[in-house]
Amino acid sequence: MSDERRITSEDLALFAMQLLPKEEMAEVAAVVASSPEVRRELAEIQGDLATYAHTVDMHSPPAVTRERLMKQVAREKKAIPIDRAMVAPAIQGTAQETKGRGGSVFSEPAAAPVADSSEAYYKGVGGIADKDYLAEEETAPRGVVAKVLPWIGWAVAAGLAVVTGNLYHERDDLRTVAATQASTLDHVTADAAAARQVLDAMTDSSAMRVTLMPTGTAAPPPTGRATYVASKGTLIFLASNLEPLQPAKTYELWLIPAGVGQNPIPAGTFRPDAHGNASVIMPPMPKGVEAKAFGVTVEDEGGSATPTMPIVLAGE
Amino acid sequence: MYRETGLVNSTIPSGQDDATLLGLVDRGDEYAMATLFDRYSKVVYSVALRVLRDPSSAEDILQEVFMQIWRNPASFVASRGSLGGWLAVVARNRSIDALRRKRPSEPVDDMVMASNYNLAEEAERNSLMEKARAAIVLLPMEQRKTLEMAFFDGLTHSEIAEMTGDPLGTVKTRIRSALTSLRKAFTA
Repeated sequence: MSDERRITSEDLALFAMQLLPKEEMAEVAAVVASSPEVRRELAEIQGDLATYAHTVDMHSPPAVTRERLMKQVAREKKAIPIDRAMVAPAIQGTAQETKGRGGSVFSEPAAAPVADSSEAYYKGVGGIADKDYLAEEETAPRGVVAKVLPWIGWAVAAGLAVVTGNLYHERDDLRTVAATQASTLDHVTADAAAARQVLDAMTDSSAMRVTLMPTGTAAPPPTGRATYVASKGTLIFLASNLEPLQPAKTYELWLIPAGVGQNPIPAGTFRPDAHGNASVIMPPMPKGVEAKAFGVTVEDEGGSATPTMPIVLAGE
Repeated sequence: MYRETGLVNSTIPSGQDDATLLGLVDRGDEYAMATLFDRYSKVVYSVALRVLRDPSSAEDILQEVFMQIWRNPASFVASRGSLGGWLAVVARNRSIDALRRKRPSEPVDDMVMASNYNLAEEAERNSLMEKARAAIVLLPMEQRKTLEMAFFDGLTHSEIAEMTGDPLGTVKTRIRSALTSLRKAFTA
């Protein structure tokens, strides 16, 4: 190498990889331009680099890249001068030349075979079939109607696409709502089943009910326990060891409001079972009525609007 | 449609050699262009992906390199070596430029490459890959790593020396020796 003192093979390798500083790149480029021997050596190094590039792990590009390239290629069509088209090797036996716009000449392929091969061409190795984009390149007929007509089709298609998109989103929204409601329903059903089980246990006449007393105590007296939530109007009353009633008689539960001068509110009638147990579960009650006390009276069957003395059970 | 879209010479020249395909591309043959893409897109994309480590950026390089061929097929002539090798190096250089976020530092047209491989044939491409990989594996670890940092990572010899702690001269020698060993493995 004639410039061996200044430009070494190491420098050429770095030059080929464009890794030298700008000034040195220019310096080496000048030597390369002037020395055939250096150019040969550089060509060898480029060949080595090309070989080395092939050691990379191979990955196929996404199929869409081919489509993207060919769309770009179709957009940048080449206008072939007449003389070049004429002297070019006759690859197509049946090709005939057609004078195109702007003085260009385009070779027209044979019709049938080309139509078949075009499918494979646009599908490509990746299998994406899309030659529709060529329609974008087609020349529109002249005239207002001819210009507008194709756009009507596109407008209708766009409208349908929008409607379809909306329907799709609505369907998705409805699906989401339905799924949410189904989930809520499941929870409610489970809660209701649990509540029903509690109520069944409390009201089941065959359920075993035991009042625990200090040992050695005589028979427990009649007892009632009221659980009341004023804000919700929820009342649960459980009684035990009640005395049997005369026929046509009934016990009646009363809520004594906390306010002055307010009448007792009837909270339901009940009859004890054979064991003296009874319950009133969530009778219809007004909400928000604070209770001062609860009482139980014996009334005629069907109940009474006002309590009849005496009060057999009372509690504050 | 073909007349109106300007497609010319519409055969599928998949069996054509690269020079013939480039001639057809020069005359606006999109089929020839598609055939070249099918033939070399894998290596171009793979090299770009290795350098950039980002599929989207690698796809951009792939598009850029092949559009270069479409716009100016004369930038490569057969006397400059194999098209496959040329594309691989161009893909690397463009990717390094993209990595450095700068414009291409030199026209790809100027590259001349000594190569005896006919990479138009898939079997020959595969053979080249296998032989090259086998040769690289035999390189000393330092040479292999240094060449990789220079070629695929685009690090200058100064940057490599700084990273590895090796003298500048050693880095340059390792790069050159690695390439020489690679060449010898193919000529042996």
